Amino acid sequence: MELFRKEDKMSSLIGANYNLLPVINRFGIRLGFKEKSIDEVCTENKIHTDFFLAIVNTYTDEGYFPEAELLSFSPLLIIEYLKNTHRYYIEYVLPKIERLLNKVIESCTEDCSSLKMINSFYQKYKAELLIHLNLEDEKVFPYIINLYKEKTLNSDGSSIEVLENEHTNVEVKLSDLKNLIIRHLSPNYEDNTMNEFLTALFQFENDLNDHARIEDHILIVQVMEFEKELGK
Amino acid sequence: MKENVFIIHRSEIIRKGLSLILQDYFKMEITQLNSTKDLNSFTGITNSSIILILEAQTEVNSKAVDLLKKNNDVYLVGFYNDDQVLEQNDSVDYQLNQFSSSMQIQKLIQIIRQAGAKKKNGNSDNGELTVREKEVIRLIAVGLANKEIAEKLFISIHTVISHRKNITEKLGIKSISGLTVYAIMNNLLDIQDINPEELI
Repeated sequence: MELFRKEDKMSSLIGANYNLLPVINRFGIRLGFKEKSIDEVCTENKIHTDFFLAIVNTYTDEGYFPEAELLSFSPLLIIEYLKNTHRYYIEYVLPKIERLLNKVIESCTEDCSSLKMINSFYQKYKAELLIHLNLEDEKVFPYIINLYKEKTLNSDGSSIEVLENEHTNVEVKLSDLKNLIIRHLSPNYEDNTMNEFLTALFQFENDLNDHARIEDHILIVQVMEFEKELGK
Repeated sequence: MKENVFIIHRSEIIRKGLSLILQDYFKMEITQLNSTKDLNSFTGITNSSIILILEAQTEVNSKAVDLLKKNNDVYLVGFYNDDQVLEQNDSVDYQLNQFSSSMQIQKLIQIIRQAGAKKKNGNSDNGELTVREKEVIRLIAVGLANKEIAEKLFISIHTVISHRKNITEKLGIKSISGLTVYAIMNNLLDIQDINPEELI
């Protein structure tokens, strides 16, 4: 996989990785690029090109970690982007996954108690995920916004490290959910329906991993640097 | 261990061609970079075996390579444009040139893989849970902590932890509520034994 550069065509970006479709939407970019380059489309949409590239490259290559000089954009831009992502999860992805799961359950004709357990497990997972997203929306992001506005450290000693607890718990549950279905559930359901549900889970897992990388590799790094400067 | 393969070369023809060939062998995406400078953006990788195929006689970017070496096994492969340069070269671990035959390429990959495999030791059981492990799952599911499980089964906490590790490896399930669902699905436990509100 090559890193995307600003002179590449916007259309080639989607050709190389269609998982970026919802990502560009979150920037407010819509299809129909003609022959325009990434830079041209970003400029038209008033998007910081370096920021856009940092995000799409982080999405495309797991090992990618933008260098300090590429992180010249404001963390407020990232927060705006992350909030959009949260909205996309809550308003679109989770309801879709739930709809598909309900279809799977409806397709079960006998001995459906195990599937019901899977459903309760999913509900538990969803509840935890929502708590996590909420915490970021209501505590972590406002903390950062305030930090950059006031340019002073909180007197109570709170810092980004303390606030941003790890994503691992929710990640573990999603992986457990997949393994329970793939390895341990007896197949009392309609196959195509289940495949659709699982595909949606895999996609969501990918998206969440990339999302977490953007938080950990870009946002948190920037904020920690800034806190260090303020502490001097 | 995860594998990351990089091809760093100024020539797009070589980058694309080489990664097309190597993709067959590695069965994975290969990251293509134009210059060793871009490697700075990948120094966050950890716990991987990293194979760097570099255009020979260019700057290696030792800063990034050293950072990568801290948390990974790194193998440097020099890529040569012709076959006359085969004098001892200390800056790379292996050599490859543009006239290498497919046998030579395959051999090189094997050597790199074997070097990486030495550190692993395979877990060779059939994935079936033992009676003891099933007991441990049952106790986890009813909500006992490691210490309580140890007391109940007359084993050390250390043994409980090692059972849990094996269970997770065999089943692919790590969370307590996931294990509870597994226990109920496999009749290790009756749904009446737990408080569904709390554990599920």
